[in-house]
Amino acid sequence: MKYILMMNTMRAGESVPKWPTKDLQAHIAFMLNLNKSLRESGELVSAEGLAFPDQARLVRAGKDGAPITDGVFPESKEFLAGFWIVQVDTPERAYTIAARASAAPGPGGAPLNMPIEVRQVMSGPPPEML
Amino acid sequence: MKYILLMNAPRSGFETYRAWPPEAVQAHFAALKSINQGLCESNEFVATSGLAWPEQAKVVRAGKDGEPVTDGVFPESKEFLAGYWIVDVESPERAGQIAARISAAPGPGGVVLNMPIEVRQVMSGPPEEFS
Repeated sequence: MKYILMMNTMRAGESVPKWPTKDLQAHIAFMLNLNKSLRESGELVSAEGLAFPDQARLVRAGKDGAPITDGVFPESKEFLAGFWIVQVDTPERAYTIAARASAAPGPGGAPLNMPIEVRQVMSGPPPEML
Repeated sequence: MKYILLMNAPRSGFETYRAWPPEAVQAHFAALKSINQGLCESNEFVATSGLAWPEQAKVVRAGKDGEPVTDGVFPESKEFLAGYWIVDVESPERAGQIAARISAAPGPGGVVLNMPIEVRQVMSGPPEEFS
């Protein structure tokens, strides 16, 4: 089963967190290490980090099909900072990996315990819809 | 440059979608499939996935002992990711054009949905100064 683990932790307009450089480095080292262990266990499908929300755009098709681009988002909107896709045997294993990511260190090395959204990734549209 | 195109919708959007007549769903998927095919032909396709329904979504946090604490309750205003595309393109404008094509996928009665697509650059790694 494939699951996507999403870090929806950023807010509109946010850029690089204002943490001391060594704390940012420790956070990134933790994430790279997590990726490495998931690669070694054969569970990592992909891991991606996204540009900060200050660069996010919302696009809609206009009447002629041309893109209409907007960069204004509601304050309540959550922004995806990054995600992992993992191939695991059970949903519980996906939750265990999510908890590891959740405990990534923040300022002063304290675990962030950030929320990680866990969703199953489908292999295709439900058959009844095709 | 890699971009991710995110199709987000509130819970109500998923409920509306579930009530679509089958032929509308089929036409919608056929349009998306044709977009995927075009992206493969232009060598811009990297990945696409659809996610399970929002009622199966969980939010997980590490508890004090590092064990997962799982919750299934989300705020009413929350947008859920329905699916995404990752494309490898020459410019942000090209990513915008592809997003507009997805945005114009047909809904019930063949009417274009003009749904909002969030466009974000995918980074190749952490900023150099932090690693």
